[in-house]
Amino acid sequence: MTFDLILLQAFTGVALGTIFVLVALGLSLIFGLLTIVNFAHSQFFMLGAYVGVVVLAVTGSFWAALVLVPLVVGALGMVCERVLIRPLYGRGIDYPLLLTFGLGLIILELVRIFAGTEGIPFNTPEALTGAVDLGVFFFPKYRLFLIGVTAAILVALWFFLEKTPYGLIIRAGARDPEIVQVLGVDVSRVWLIVFGIGTGLAALAGVLAAPIRGVFPEMGVPVLVEAFVVTVVGGMGSLLGAVIAGLAVGITVSMTSLFYPEMTTLSMFLLMAVVLVFRPRGLFGRAGVLD
Amino acid sequence: MASETSAARGATGSAGGLKGLVALVTRHRVLCALVVLALLPFLTPYEALAVNILIFGLYAMGFNLIFGYAGMLSFGHAALFGLGAYGCGVPIAKFGVPWFLALPMGIAIAGLASVVIGWFAIRSRGIYFAMITLALSQVVYYTTYQWVSLTGGEDGLRGVNVPAIDIFGLHFDMLNPTTKYYVLFVFAAVAIALFSRILNSPFGAVLEALRENEKRAMACGYDIARTRWLAFILSGLFSGFAGALYAIHLSVVPIETLNYFNSAEVLMITLLGGMGTFFGAFIGAYVYIMLQDVVTVVTVHWQLVIGTLFVVLILFFPRGIWGSFLKWVRA
Amino acid sequence: MNAHTPLSPAAATGTPIMAVEGVVKRFGGFTALNNVTTSFEAGRLTSIIGPNGAGKSTFFNVLSGQFPPSVGKVFFNGVDITGTPQHRLAHMGIAKSFQITNLFPKLSVHENVRIAAQALQARFDLWRPRAGLKLDETVEALLLRVGLQDRRHESVDTLAHGQQRCLEIAVALACEPKVLLLDEPTAGMSPEEAKDMMDLILKLNAERTVILVEHRMKLVMGISDRIVVLHHGTLLAEGTADDIRRHEEVRRVYLGQSV
Repeated sequence: MTFDLILLQAFTGVALGTIFVLVALGLSLIFGLLTIVNFAHSQFFMLGAYVGVVVLAVTGSFWAALVLVPLVVGALGMVCERVLIRPLYGRGIDYPLLLTFGLGLIILELVRIFAGTEGIPFNTPEALTGAVDLGVFFFPKYRLFLIGVTAAILVALWFFLEKTPYGLIIRAGARDPEIVQVLGVDVSRVWLIVFGIGTGLAALAGVLAAPIRGVFPEMGVPVLVEAFVVTVVGGMGSLLGAVIAGLAVGITVSMTSLFYPEMTTLSMFLLMAVVLVFRPRGLFGRAGVLD
Repeated sequence: MASETSAARGATGSAGGLKGLVALVTRHRVLCALVVLALLPFLTPYEALAVNILIFGLYAMGFNLIFGYAGMLSFGHAALFGLGAYGCGVPIAKFGVPWFLALPMGIAIAGLASVVIGWFAIRSRGIYFAMITLALSQVVYYTTYQWVSLTGGEDGLRGVNVPAIDIFGLHFDMLNPTTKYYVLFVFAAVAIALFSRILNSPFGAVLEALRENEKRAMACGYDIARTRWLAFILSGLFSGFAGALYAIHLSVVPIETLNYFNSAEVLMITLLGGMGTFFGAFIGAYVYIMLQDVVTVVTVHWQLVIGTLFVVLILFFPRGIWGSFLKWVRA
Repeated sequence: MNAHTPLSPAAATGTPIMAVEGVVKRFGGFTALNNVTTSFEAGRLTSIIGPNGAGKSTFFNVLSGQFPPSVGKVFFNGVDITGTPQHRLAHMGIAKSFQITNLFPKLSVHENVRIAAQALQARFDLWRPRAGLKLDETVEALLLRVGLQDRRHESVDTLAHGQQRCLEIAVALACEPKVLLLDEPTAGMSPEEAKDMMDLILKLNAERTVILVEHRMKLVMGISDRIVVLHHGTLLAEGTADDIRRHEEVRRVYLGQSV
């Protein structure tokens, strides 16, 4: 086993991890502010891929899909928040979780009804096929692109949260919703927007993952569990945790598939178990969240 | 969440009427449950459905112990039910172990799994608990899926044949659906009586206290972590028992018993019947399975119905059928 | 006024039953308690007072094991109990009431006290019926003690605020504590109710050590054996009510209030 191969596999892990990062980021963002775990998150991911298929069919442009998918699905997420989740605020932490689980089933089944149960091919866009010579090894262009896009989104999100007035409100709201209310901000609108951003991120991850994972109704099912593992490892509600844990999980899975392929699926759970033993709140978990 | 003890208490003053009846039923809950379950084959279109209701009712009862009574939302109970099924089925199918040894083996394996899963999960609370139990149940799913030589992998475990059961010189033909129902009914009856006993024990009171106010329970001197762990293990034993009976009932163990959707189903059944109520589990199982039987004839999109049911229940009837009924009677 | 003499034999020895040593508590960059050292004699009634934001609640929470101090130690009967889990403290004989009423809201008054009393004898008993524990006498005695015997079957959420506070005390007493820690037991009470509560506390003090946190200085001056004054997270003064009344710094801090 050469060093090159290990390095290549680590790089592949990072590319794989970007999907985890995007999904977990949305989940964590929603949790951080609304303290609800969106069990339908993975179905918004799947929906993203399907909307991507539609946009691609209509416009013929992958780039248009990248822009439109998060907007369309994010808007749908906002509708769900307003109509279904809003009545449950203040009614205990389990209720939104159960409701979003039901919502996830509905989305899944509706997609089966309207788009069929068969998978739909989703080709890598022309410009991103092939591989790039990175000096040490050749690396698929599309995976490199994934890393680039995710990095760009992280920077944009960071800028939005840290440097804009809206970001300030969101961060303050995550710490103490009452203070934001006292300051005269309409908190419900902040929640709505955050839910939209979270589901939009999941949808974007879905369309980005489509060329690698394929498009089929059940594509979201493993994603939910993966996102949970990432959030548990990174720490609930921590965005930095979601990023680092997402990449760590990606690299772990990718490395295991190189050295011990039978354990590939289980490796992320073992990582989670180890983290839980030593840091029950995750790597970057805040103390208050669980008490 | 409806407290049945308070229903009984409220009714002691006003004898007679619906209130009195509910109080009477609550006081003799084991007897009432058994009488209704004994009549169940006559209330369903065919016996196999009655067996399913019995088993899923038992499963939901075990799940209810932690979800309804202790207030912990597990999303990984499929692992415990499924391991009960495989733990009982594998010895029978692969090693020719007699059923009366395999059944306790299934329960023991589910119990062991709940010791391990519980150890990890009880360190967290609320939604975190739900996420961790779900993730750990997936570990069980994938392991079983990959261990084809022992479990049959994707195709499920075949050949769990228990054609007849002999107890105390009596011979029961398990291929006769009615006989099978009543044999399993006897097993279920033991579990129901045990369950009621636990609810009525001092530990049952601790569980309620935990659900009502963890902080106060701690200040009173209760070790929260251990109480939660024990509750999880007990719940796992009951769920595993249901799983073991399921293996004997079906003669196969489908891999779907371990699927996360199975965890959601038991949650749905419990919610539907009324979480934290004694009869809720069986009422929920009856309605759910009857509904499934009707709907799946008409359409393949059963999950759409379940999803909608989830949303409607949570938004409008979080107490479920028996819980809403109790509230209505008391009001 | 200060004629109250504790009856407990432990009081005679004058040994401290609880003590804190160099306790510091920080929350992020904020220091809520700064190097507090004091001790509490057995059998006495000690009040912890101080203006808003003095660190009273933080001190109470450190003392009752709600959270560990950032630096320093807490002792009970000479044993270091810093970081001991709450449920174990209850078994050692430290009980507390919460500032914000903290009961089992959907259970009855009787059930609330009963579950608390049960902790002494059956925590993991799966088999015996609850009724077999013979707790009723204990529960009735406690309800009588706090004057809630006529409300035993009512649900907690139907009780008046003052009654809930009394129930809170009964629940704390159920584990037969050696030390009773009370966090603002009169919070939200009318003057009459507060006076009744203070009478009750005095009675309870006859059998055990009581440490209470109180915002209203006037209420505790008359009944306390000893008073500890906190200010800005530090210990400003401690002593008898007369000592405190004469204390220059305390007068300054409480300026405008009749000391």
